[in-house]
Amino acid sequence: MSNTLMLALRLLRRDWRAGELRVLVAALVIAVAAATAISFFTDRLGRAMVNQSADMLGADLALVSSRAVASAWLEQARQRGLRVAETLEFASVLLKGDESSLAAVKAVDDNYPLRGFLRGSDTLYGTDLIAQRGPQVGEIWLEPRLVAALQVELGEHIEIGASRLRLGRILTYEPGRAGDVYWMAPRALIHLSDLDRTEVVGPGSRLSYQVLFAGDETRIGGYKTWLQQRLGPEHNLLDIHEGRPAVGNAIDRAERYLGLSTLIAAVLAGVAIAMGARRYSERHYDVSAMLRCFGASQNDILKLYATQLLIVGIVGSALGCAVGWAAQHGLFALLRGVLPADLPGTGFAPVIVGFLTGMIVLAGFALPPVLRLKAVSPLRVLRRDLIPMPASGLAVYGAGVAAIVLLMWRYTEDVSLTLVVLAGTIAAAVALAALALLLLRFARVLRTRVGVAWRFGLNNLWRRAQVSVTQILAFGLTLMAMAVILLVRTDLLTTWKTQLPDDAPNHFAINIMEEQVDGARAFLQQHAIPGSNLYPMVRGRLIAINGVILRDHVSKEAANHGSVNRELNLTWSDTLPADNKIVGGRWWQPGGPGQAVVSVEQRLAARMNIGLDDRLTFSIGSRELEARVASIRTVQWDSFRPNFFFMFPPGMLDDFPATYITSFYMPPTQKPLLADFVRSFPSVTVLELDLIMGLVRNILAQVTLAVEYVLAFVLLAGFVVLYAALQASLDERLYEGALLRTLGASRTQMRAGHLAEFCLLGTLAGLLAAFGTEVIAWLMYTRVMDLDYSFKWQVWLVAPLVGAVLIGAAGYWGTRPVLRQSPLVVFREL
Amino acid sequence: MNAVINRNSIDTAPGQTIVAASDLSKRVPTVSGDLDILSSVNLDIKRGESVAIVGVSGSGKSTLLGLLAGLDVPSSGTVTLARHRLSELDEDGRAKVRGQLVGFVFQSFQLLPSLSALENVMLPLELSGQRDADRQARALLQRVGLGERLDHYPKQLSGGEQQRVAIARAFAVGPAVLFADEPTGNLDNTTGSRIIDILFQLNAEQGTTLVLVTHDEHLAQRCQRRIRLDAGRIAGEE
Repeated sequence: MSNTLMLALRLLRRDWRAGELRVLVAALVIAVAAATAISFFTDRLGRAMVNQSADMLGADLALVSSRAVASAWLEQARQRGLRVAETLEFASVLLKGDESSLAAVKAVDDNYPLRGFLRGSDTLYGTDLIAQRGPQVGEIWLEPRLVAALQVELGEHIEIGASRLRLGRILTYEPGRAGDVYWMAPRALIHLSDLDRTEVVGPGSRLSYQVLFAGDETRIGGYKTWLQQRLGPEHNLLDIHEGRPAVGNAIDRAERYLGLSTLIAAVLAGVAIAMGARRYSERHYDVSAMLRCFGASQNDILKLYATQLLIVGIVGSALGCAVGWAAQHGLFALLRGVLPADLPGTGFAPVIVGFLTGMIVLAGFALPPVLRLKAVSPLRVLRRDLIPMPASGLAVYGAGVAAIVLLMWRYTEDVSLTLVVLAGTIAAAVALAALALLLLRFARVLRTRVGVAWRFGLNNLWRRAQVSVTQILAFGLTLMAMAVILLVRTDLLTTWKTQLPDDAPNHFAINIMEEQVDGARAFLQQHAIPGSNLYPMVRGRLIAINGVILRDHVSKEAANHGSVNRELNLTWSDTLPADNKIVGGRWWQPGGPGQAVVSVEQRLAARMNIGLDDRLTFSIGSRELEARVASIRTVQWDSFRPNFFFMFPPGMLDDFPATYITSFYMPPTQKPLLADFVRSFPSVTVLELDLIMGLVRNILAQVTLAVEYVLAFVLLAGFVVLYAALQASLDERLYEGALLRTLGASRTQMRAGHLAEFCLLGTLAGLLAAFGTEVIAWLMYTRVMDLDYSFKWQVWLVAPLVGAVLIGAAGYWGTRPVLRQSPLVVFREL
Repeated sequence: MNAVINRNSIDTAPGQTIVAASDLSKRVPTVSGDLDILSSVNLDIKRGESVAIVGVSGSGKSTLLGLLAGLDVPSSGTVTLARHRLSELDEDGRAKVRGQLVGFVFQSFQLLPSLSALENVMLPLELSGQRDADRQARALLQRVGLGERLDHYPKQLSGGEQQRVAIARAFAVGPAVLFADEPTGNLDNTTGSRIIDILFQLNAEQGTTLVLVTHDEHLAQRCQRRIRLDAGRIAGEE
């Protein structure tokens, strides 16, 4: 072992024994533990959530096509080690005696579903259970409303085309029910081998082929890329994000939030490390000067401290990984009941993430102050006032910023988020530093009007203005980070809760004929079932924009999108749906604008390059209709209420045949009414969404949990910053305290002075935090999290108060040694 | 650490000049213009000699010591230490010379608070890569009468004891020149005398050249030569 390493180890051991490394190692352990635990947690939970979303899709990836998918593509998937299942959907009439009903029939192979389970029951509206296998050859499974409509019993036969199939099960849940729910007829499931016998599929039949793929993430990713280059206009590729917007959005936001929180925890710990490292460095000026006297070169000093830092990094990070691993295990053990039973195991990746985080944070935040040690003049042994030139601002902040950018890139893989947080932090730091100085100046004015303790505190803050500003900034930024994370969490949870309130509509009724509208409305009112408006629907296809055929107007990618390729539901309404929002143009006045206009959903408009006042041409049946874009609207797709891409004013679609749609909430106790409803309106199709909503709720609950957990780590990291900041100024305070006591200051006076100083520091930091929080939160809400923002006046009350209490208490506690140690001991030690 | 002790690099016979200053000046900028702390100092110190630099506070004693030891660089003039022209070396070069030839004793002891007495003495030996640092350090502490206090930390030792540890540390690497800056400045008379005894005993035993800065006349009288500084110039020599 080299001499340097041996010496570094020996000095480090002695420093450890003397307690010199505590703050540094503690901050490092927290940073790494937070990163590791969150990484473990999100990794496992993320995989669980992805699994659940995959359960809903029935696969990790699904290819929907109006034509048979080339067998070479399936072969390619199998060669890549993916599992493949094929399904085919078509509409057909089912017969049982005199009863008949139109059904959406799905023929599935033995592999279906690749993810999740089919569920079924043996009695109508009875308890449903997971089905290990799909329908066997010769079997058909029907949804409850089909069973009711056809009045068929389990074991009886049903005619479908040229074949007769036996009712094997009542189908209650089917993964991968992709497609347009509004036009979904009641579902029937048969085995793919029975398809030919039915003879219902022939040339010209409208078919929807679906190929499902499942496998590990990298393979699916690779195959997806391969596939995307080959897709034609007839293809639509769905993954777990695109397949289910309700869940996809929640997962996306949660991933962003968790990434952001980890980042903030790491940056906060970084700040603590920087402070710890600075104190460590300052306490080693004498050692460096002595070593230089003994003949060590600058390079020797550099090597010595770099080696020490590396050892601290390795040991601290390893310790942090262990703590993080234990923490997430503890959490999962506590939450066993809430989380899915088949939680995927932990990989090794989070340990690497945590370890790297530790090394990056240490290199970025601790290296610059420690490197200053090499510049200590040997003359310091004679003149203790000689301190090394401060490291250049570029080196200190550059390293910190580089570390943050590296971490952001790792945690978010998201350019906009990285830029927002980085720009926000830098701008905030500069602006807040100026503000802190201003506040400090203002506070100083008060000093003639306050008692001796407060004057002592105020003078202390002002005398060390630079240090005070740094501390106010550190505390302020810490409080700000905590406040932002807390705010985003609360609003995320509220958003999720309002997205799916307990009485969110759990049924869709579609195909309501014009003459049934009053009856259906009366039925729902009579049984006190809350529901949405009844919206008319006309099927139509967008064919041209400003007279240019659609395919020539939009990009190839946009042209492949499902909303372009298929018929869409067009509706009309006098009023804007409650959860829609106009983001461009104006909604028409009640009574109609008297001209041909249309309101377009925002994302569709963006994707298809549609702007206000564009002329859109629709094909409805055999006729064409032209309308000018009067407004652009946002839509809450995940609200479980009827939503539309295109809305017209009343009157414009009067000439076209329309059916109506509504959604309503029916509690479990009222379920038997459903059979009455179906019998009263036989042509109406009722879709039950309880199972899907249950899954969504479950996922949201887990995401909520993760969000809460991460918050705890951010708070912990924040407290380490507070501790490190106090430690950093402790030496100076000890010295001053000893001096003051020598001069006759009583303990009570000094205690009150300290309390005043720290409370003031906390209040100023809190004010700063409130200001920063408002700005950062506004940026994040509007630019990153896609949430609505409103002025957070509470922050202006809570942050200064919390700052005063927290920092006042911590400062009071942290400066106890100043009062406890005898002045003589202090003078001799420092 | 590569500051390996090599006594041959002293390359100076007893009685020959080991430390020489020629036309040495040190000027520092102040608010009211440049201030000359040292002006045209010339001196020769022979190997094995003991020299006291005396003068009132602010006469430039410590500055001269720092320049002679290579801890600082002069504004003009040269310092030669065992034939090494310090002004021609960079800071690392001077560090190497210090490591090979120089020992220090300070007024404020400058012990490392996180190291025990033994570890403080071991430090320069470890830096120079010596394998039996522990044994040598124990022997030296025994020699200065602190054999029973090896594991005590500086804050557990009295001022006199701390200075004895510092002396043991200074002699640990067998320096050719020992520079001492007010070694008794922080000590009472009795303790100071004991320290001086130890310093001169070790000096005699090891044949070290001793250069010390003091305004303690009693201590200065024990040196073979006294150089008196006044306002940065040599005002006399005895």
